[in-house]
Amino acid sequence: MRVPGEKLYGALLHLYPKSFRSRYGAEMLAFYRERRRAGGAKVWPRVLIDLFLTTAAEHLRTLRVFRAPASSASSASTTELTMQTFRHTLRGLVRTPAFTAVVLLTLALGIGANAAIFSVVNGVLLQPLPFPEPDRLVDLRFQEPYWSVSEPEFKDFRRDLRPLEQLVAYTDYDANLEGDQEPVRISGARVSDGFFQVLGVEPLMGRTYAPDEQRPAQVPTPVIVISETVWRTRFGADPNILTREVRLNGVPRRVIGVMPAEFTFPNAATGVWLPLRLNYDSLWTRNNHYLLLVGRLRPGATAEQANLEANLLTRRWPGDFPETYGPGKPIIAEVKPLMERVLANSRPYLVTLLAAVGFVLLIACANVANLLLIRGEARRRELGIRTALGATGSRLVVQQLTESGVLALAGGGLGLLVAWGGLRALLSLAPATLPRLEQVKLDGAVLLFTLAVSLGTGLLFGLLPALRASRGDASSALRDGARSSSRGGSRMRRGLVMGEVALAVVMLSGAGLLVRSLLSLQQTDIGFDDSRILTARINLPPLNYDSDAKAIARIAEIEERVRALPGVVSAGTMGWTPVVGEGGTWSISIDGTEAPQIAGAPNADPLQVTPGYFGTLGVPMLRGRAFTEQDREDAPPVVIVNEAMAKALWPGQDPVGHTLKMYGNPGTPWVPIVGVARDILSRGVGKTTPPTMFFPYAQAGKSAYFVPRQVTLAVKTTGNPEALGPAVSRIVHQLDPGAPVSEVRSMEAVMGTALASRRFTTVLLGWFAALALLLAGVGIYGVIAYGVSQRTYEIGLRQALGADRGSVLGLIVTEGLRLTAMGLLIGLAGTLAAGQLIRSMLVNVKATDPLTLASVALVLAAVAALASWIPARRAMAVSPTEALRGG
Amino acid sequence: MPGSHDTPESHLPLRPVELLLLTMLTAGNRHGYGLRQDILDHTGGKIELEAGTLYRHIRRLEEAKLLAQATAPDDEDERRIYYRLTPFGQKVLAAELVRLRSLVRLAESRRIISPARS
Repeated sequence: MRVPGEKLYGALLHLYPKSFRSRYGAEMLAFYRERRRAGGAKVWPRVLIDLFLTTAAEHLRTLRVFRAPASSASSASTTELTMQTFRHTLRGLVRTPAFTAVVLLTLALGIGANAAIFSVVNGVLLQPLPFPEPDRLVDLRFQEPYWSVSEPEFKDFRRDLRPLEQLVAYTDYDANLEGDQEPVRISGARVSDGFFQVLGVEPLMGRTYAPDEQRPAQVPTPVIVISETVWRTRFGADPNILTREVRLNGVPRRVIGVMPAEFTFPNAATGVWLPLRLNYDSLWTRNNHYLLLVGRLRPGATAEQANLEANLLTRRWPGDFPETYGPGKPIIAEVKPLMERVLANSRPYLVTLLAAVGFVLLIACANVANLLLIRGEARRRELGIRTALGATGSRLVVQQLTESGVLALAGGGLGLLVAWGGLRALLSLAPATLPRLEQVKLDGAVLLFTLAVSLGTGLLFGLLPALRASRGDASSALRDGARSSSRGGSRMRRGLVMGEVALAVVMLSGAGLLVRSLLSLQQTDIGFDDSRILTARINLPPLNYDSDAKAIARIAEIEERVRALPGVVSAGTMGWTPVVGEGGTWSISIDGTEAPQIAGAPNADPLQVTPGYFGTLGVPMLRGRAFTEQDREDAPPVVIVNEAMAKALWPGQDPVGHTLKMYGNPGTPWVPIVGVARDILSRGVGKTTPPTMFFPYAQAGKSAYFVPRQVTLAVKTTGNPEALGPAVSRIVHQLDPGAPVSEVRSMEAVMGTALASRRFTTVLLGWFAALALLLAGVGIYGVIAYGVSQRTYEIGLRQALGADRGSVLGLIVTEGLRLTAMGLLIGLAGTLAAGQLIRSMLVNVKATDPLTLASVALVLAAVAALASWIPARRAMAVSPTEALRGG
Repeated sequence: MPGSHDTPESHLPLRPVELLLLTMLTAGNRHGYGLRQDILDHTGGKIELEAGTLYRHIRRLEEAKLLAQATAPDDEDERRIYYRLTPFGQKVLAAELVRLRSLVRLAESRRIISPARS
């Protein structure tokens, strides 16, 4: 049996020199296993400290710094030496505050960014779902075009899917909730029997539904289960909540249970769970796909088996129910682990971000290593003298490693602060579409990760300078003299800078490609002008609006008063909001002929709109006319179709004058089409617009089944639309205090939700790339500045001999550019490789996009030129005589 | 390497942790984690060895031929590496304990600690 962290520990063992690892690695892993089993996760701090100290000591030993310790009397233990140098190190760091500050800042940014992103990845991707045995939970749905499941299909699955122990259904459901305060709109779910049992979650208080409460049989008072959040925010955490009644859509319901805060299924916003009453027997319902299913696998069964069986079942359906499933539309089931379904869209974004912060940290490491190398170079001469005077040669290496360890841990500590602040910023930026955000926090796992990263970072940036220091021999250090630096050290530093330039190139290119994708998506023509439009969801309580006429009159009244507000251009109302809402897909008949079976009937999405809709959104009519105030409830019904519908059903013809009707419903009339509206991206950017038919809101009860009681009001304004939000809410509240207004926001915000995840990733990646660029710039600056300081004499000599300033300046800047050019080439090659990884996230731009790559190269060249120009200028400010005297 | 000059006395004094390790091995063969637990028990939880430190000491003692790899005791996990005290290690341990005994006797005679009852 594996224990948690085994893999991580196994990986960390690679920090030891190979000889030690191959001899004791397996045993140490076995040691860890027993240690972890007995001691739990809290063993980690000790394990890590041990790891850092002993890996460092082993590397030193391999570097032959210590004599083979056959005789213990003569040599102090490594640990003692480390402790001894600890104070010395601290003193040294305090004495060079600028060096220490730069290193700590670099590390804090690098480690902090990693800790923050890791806490998101940990919360969203790594934490198991908060249900018992979450691996056995699966999601069952259909591939397009069906997506969700109908009641009879659910019944078939429930009966016949053997790999599943239990299968339950649920569906989203919004309602007006009246509690202590004024009514609010809340999200809820209607859930079938066994729902809470499948997920294995017990209520915080009270109970969940009894089986008879799920049946249509009349229960004296309907019951309701509420969330901890609703209990706390709407009922002041009333301890007697279980004796109370709440009103949901005007219907009194008895609260029978409160679910714990961590129960956030189907989503974090779910505030109430109502019984879902199923009617298996109607033929109609087999075509009514609206359920989502979640099941629990039998022990030992897999999602693949369930998937196979589900499809054996669905393959029979077209034969058994030809009236439901058309030959052109195969019905394919998809059974996937629930976790996979929850994360489907987020994983690539988060993995990209994690890779990006990893790069930032590597660049930070390279910079710190460079600083330490330069510092070590100075100390080498100091120690060369001391060694010659009889000090032990190992001292320098130990000091170097202790310094790395101290810096890494202090940087990690500061990094946690950065992560704490960064995480708050991150969560406020994060789109609501990112699932499981409520799980994201700085917890033990994040602390552990930060500690491990800090130690790993310390080894990474500390070993190279330590290795360098170990090669120090007294005579050569002395011979090299005070001003020159050794060749090996300079090669190492230049290599590091090349590496960080390469990493920065990969990051900048990745960010650039994503920015271009985002821009291209943002510039997509959405079919209407979404600027200066306010949207608000109005929820008329169905009990108070028992006739269509009441609802129609109320909406007209609201629109009229809103139009009278200063700064309002026009107002219109629609049944559902684009992108975030949907109105279903209905089967229809056209031009007087009814398809023999529903499978053969055409279909389209309905949208109920008031006459102000087209003008307010600015949707032009391509043919025919828009709705007018004359299209009243008692006027002859009319319908408008969109371009997509016109093309699908009347290709090459003018649909105006043709008729349509709800399929198989003799009560509804044949309705003439009076206009064709331009398509708008009603499902959002990057999605195809479905065929859509528009009904006048006032006539929808007659021609399109019903007049919706939940509608979206759209208001075109002259100024900032969101400023009008309170006034609009107030109007609705004045007209009907029982009708909550929700989702008050601009149309731009609504349309933007489709791109929210992408924008989040792109913005973050942009920031990280900027950080990488800054660090790379600092790295180039460091190497050039040090090189120049070593060459003050040479520069002075050149100037004394008459070289003009321009040529000397050019000499130094060219060197910086040469350094960058190598890194740039390696980075571009890396980009081509990494481009494959983000290709799935690119839109309208290739991973090899020459414009992006050229811009990146230019930006880096500019940064490199600037980074070498600054030290060059400073060197030339020194007068030649002074420079020559100094040499 | 134990050469002709490699007498038990040349290894004295032992480091405190190594004295503990060698002493614990006198009870029988142990693997690394077993040694840790023995020392933990013996010191009342005061000395908690972690893997890196422990195996560095083991490596040193192994190279000095004070302990050696051994077969697993009956009924124990055969895939793990067990250690035993070598005869030379036993001699070093004995020499160290004799040295400590004389030190303890001295302390007793000076009334720093009371003499053990025996």
